[in-house]
Amino acid sequence: MPPSTDLLQGTLDMLILRAVAHEPQHGWAIAQRIQQVSNNILQIGQGSLYPALHRLEYKGWIKAEWGASENNRKARYYSLTKAGRKQLETEMENWARLAGAINVVLQEI
Amino acid sequence: MFSEWLSRLRFAVSRKQRNEVDEELQFHIDRQIEANIAVGMPPEEARRQATIAFGARERAREQCREARPGWTVELFFRDLRFGVRGLFRNLGLAAVAVLTLAVAIGANSTIFSLLSQALLRTLPVRDPQQLVVLDFTGATDGHTHSEGGDRPGHHYEFSYPMYRDLREKNQALSGLLASATTTVGATWQNRSEAVHAEMVSGNYFDVLGVVPAVGRVFDIQDETLPGANPVAVLNFDYWRTHLAEAPVIGRAIAINGVQFTIIGVASPGFRSAVWGRTPDVYVPLTMQKVVEPDWDYLTDHHAYWITVSGRLRAGISPEQASASMNRLFFDLRRQEYASAKDQSANTRKHFVDASRLNFASGARGFSPVRDDLKTPLMVIMGMVVLVIAMAVVNVASLLLVRAANRVREFSIRYAMGATAGQIVRQLLCEGMLLGLAGSALGLAIAPQTLRMLIRWMQGRSGDVSEFTPTLDWRVFAFTAGAMFAGSVIFSLAPAIQFWNPRLADALKQQAANVLGGSLRFRRTCVALQIGFSLFLVLGAGMFVHTIQNLRSTDPGFATDHLLGFQLVPELAGYPGPKVALVEQQVLDAISGLPGVRQVGATNDADLIGNGRGGDVSISGYTPKPDENFDAELPWVSNGYLQTLGVPLLAGRLFSSSDTATSLHVAVVNESFARHFFAKPQDILGHHFARPDRPSTDAVIVGIVRDVKHTSLRDPVQPTCYTLFNQSDRPSGLMIYVRTWQSPDAAANSIRAAVKGIDSKLIVDDLSTMTDQIDQNIMAERTIALLATVFGLVAALLAGIGLYGILAYSTAQRTREIGIRMALGARRGSVVGLILREMLVLAGIAVAATIPIAVMATWAVRSQLYQVSIADPAAYASAICVIAVVAVLAGIFPARRAAGIDPSRALRMD
Repeated sequence: MPPSTDLLQGTLDMLILRAVAHEPQHGWAIAQRIQQVSNNILQIGQGSLYPALHRLEYKGWIKAEWGASENNRKARYYSLTKAGRKQLETEMENWARLAGAINVVLQEI
Repeated sequence: MFSEWLSRLRFAVSRKQRNEVDEELQFHIDRQIEANIAVGMPPEEARRQATIAFGARERAREQCREARPGWTVELFFRDLRFGVRGLFRNLGLAAVAVLTLAVAIGANSTIFSLLSQALLRTLPVRDPQQLVVLDFTGATDGHTHSEGGDRPGHHYEFSYPMYRDLREKNQALSGLLASATTTVGATWQNRSEAVHAEMVSGNYFDVLGVVPAVGRVFDIQDETLPGANPVAVLNFDYWRTHLAEAPVIGRAIAINGVQFTIIGVASPGFRSAVWGRTPDVYVPLTMQKVVEPDWDYLTDHHAYWITVSGRLRAGISPEQASASMNRLFFDLRRQEYASAKDQSANTRKHFVDASRLNFASGARGFSPVRDDLKTPLMVIMGMVVLVIAMAVVNVASLLLVRAANRVREFSIRYAMGATAGQIVRQLLCEGMLLGLAGSALGLAIAPQTLRMLIRWMQGRSGDVSEFTPTLDWRVFAFTAGAMFAGSVIFSLAPAIQFWNPRLADALKQQAANVLGGSLRFRRTCVALQIGFSLFLVLGAGMFVHTIQNLRSTDPGFATDHLLGFQLVPELAGYPGPKVALVEQQVLDAISGLPGVRQVGATNDADLIGNGRGGDVSISGYTPKPDENFDAELPWVSNGYLQTLGVPLLAGRLFSSSDTATSLHVAVVNESFARHFFAKPQDILGHHFARPDRPSTDAVIVGIVRDVKHTSLRDPVQPTCYTLFNQSDRPSGLMIYVRTWQSPDAAANSIRAAVKGIDSKLIVDDLSTMTDQIDQNIMAERTIALLATVFGLVAALLAGIGLYGILAYSTAQRTREIGIRMALGARRGSVVGLILREMLVLAGIAVAATIPIAVMATWAVRSQLYQVSIADPAAYASAICVIAVVAVLAGIFPARRAAGIDPSRALRMD
């Protein structure tokens, strides 16, 4: 296993929200997607994905439904709720601001 | 935010199912295996890689659960369930701990509630801190009507004229109130009964700040001139219990046959400015002559009968008030002295110069009974403190023994992956449960025991107790809190191991010495428990012995089959001259009843702590200078000595030929005669009289044997009996009836006979002589009762505590005992080994306790009667009790140890 980059506290939540923003996804697919899109830089501890998913569900930002998977098995699909979409926007704005600020600092000093 | 809460709520109601989570996690892993196979891995390797990539599955599942809303609550309930299960697993031990806590909490709350009422609590009036109690030092002359007091040499009773002067001329007090108490006959709707009346000044309620519940209370207009204020205020409890809260304002209540108009009812909870008084009705001081028809005090400068307290003016300290009022008091005393009979310089010094007005804090109110109650209450409180100490040691040792027994359980759980936090949480929960259960049980029993104790102290008298059955909540909360904290702390003690860096080693060893130094701790526990319980058992023995001594004291006459009751015709409105006549009628009527052997009467009841005495002069005898001879001077009926059975030594007793108009005669006891003449018979024929009262002159015609009079404790007093119908004043009587019958049957016929003469006559306090004596020694009996209860509790606690500790330590020594037996020790010697250790320890504890016990008994010697503070019998029996308890507690663990099969014991661990 390649050494995983530790995710910043709280960023996992944002990544999950972003991953299910377009269409409902199940847990495995979310993990795969984040990994692929980030070119395997972001490794999600698969075990820790589910507590996070459940936490977001309890917060009402995503909702879960049983559905059939691509290979026709029963899987749990997560999709964004209205509150979740709002939360995602706020978090992305915050992230952009923070990342921008850090970039500026790194370049100027 | 709102939607988040709503969502949490939804999930709190409908939980995610455990298998749903499992299914979801399983899907993930299966999907990963498929993906791995798809990239060409062999199935076995695909499965392995998928599992590794996923990480600890149990942990993930646990974390999913922890993410759940309401997880903390769920966790709490889980710990609680665990705690309950833990306690139930060792139910006997938990029950003993809970009971011990409850006993400690209950006893402390009950006794301290009484103690704080008598000694600490302030009066239920406005700003009690501003109140001061007045007393004075210096000589008095004339008649003092004293209820008792806190300090010797201090007079708490003032004359009415003195009070009026102090009230009207002082500038230091915003108000000065006065009161006195007595028993009166009250007639309400044709029903007469004896009630307590408090005579109060007009400003009484106003100065105290007591408001009426109904109608109005007295004001200064209700205290004008002697006999001019026939108005009454009722006590709230009396109004509620005796008058059924009837509308009373403006209606009349007859007090000693005189109509008083009821103007109001005092506020609930208020009794008196004097703690311990329980008045039913309040009347103005100016009505004294009606309330106490025998006396006329209102204009008398030399009758001291009212207690006085005042409210300090704002901004004035007690010292300033004392300075300014003492100038006034000095002037008043000088004026009083001018009218005194004795004008010698010595008298002046005592009466005027040495006289001083004193101020004491009045927040708790003056109380004549506080002093009597103080020592008994302190003694009992001391016993309670010991019981509490025992309870603490007991619970602590039980919990620690229990914890030590569970080392194995904890190490297994720890090995199974429970965190230290989880185990500590479980212990905490168990400790809290114990504490809570103990407090709850204590709370359940405390008010009941308080009520029972007060009812028991009232005895059969039916009088209102000075104590109210209200629990002191602060004390309850404090004790329960302390016990709760204690049980939590001692429950947590085993958790200390989990902070031990060598934890693993400690748990691996699992053997005896996990709790370092616990052997010394256990020994200390055993010694303390034996010491404390010896102390309490010893106390119980001594106080019970006191009661036995008091009960078996021979007063000089038989106290069985003797009924007594109070008859005061003046309470029914009889005028002075007719009192003796109706009393004689009652005596005659009772003597004619079937089943009555004899009947007699006295104005000075026997053996109930009363005395009526004074100085006397005997014809033909010149007193030595400074001779101070006081004698008991009861007025009796001509059947009195025969009824009690006082034996005649010389001369004759009174007989029916001694009437109101015949020669005035007297009978004296032996002590009286011996004081005047070397040969007692020589006193016969001499004249007796009170100094300066020629009407009391009587010829001494008989000498009787000494009998106890005031109380069983007090020594015999010189006594001179004269006839009530030959006296110069009317008086209420205590009538004694010697019967053949059972007391109840006789009581009914006596009531009927008195009613037959006049239905207004009140038969008060009708009870047997033995009951009256019991009531008189109530303080001693209460101490003895509680001491016995506490002694039993202590012995029981000690037994249980010792058993627990021994059971544990012998279990720890299983291997050692097994080796001994394998080497040929017999069962008997193993039992002996264990018992011997126990008894050596007990012996050391006893030896250490005895000197302390002697000192403690010395401190409470005033409460003992004919019991030496080093009473060998009491010590021997207490030590025996402790030895028996120790052996009983030791024998079961010892026998179990002796029953060990050596081969199995050696194979253990």
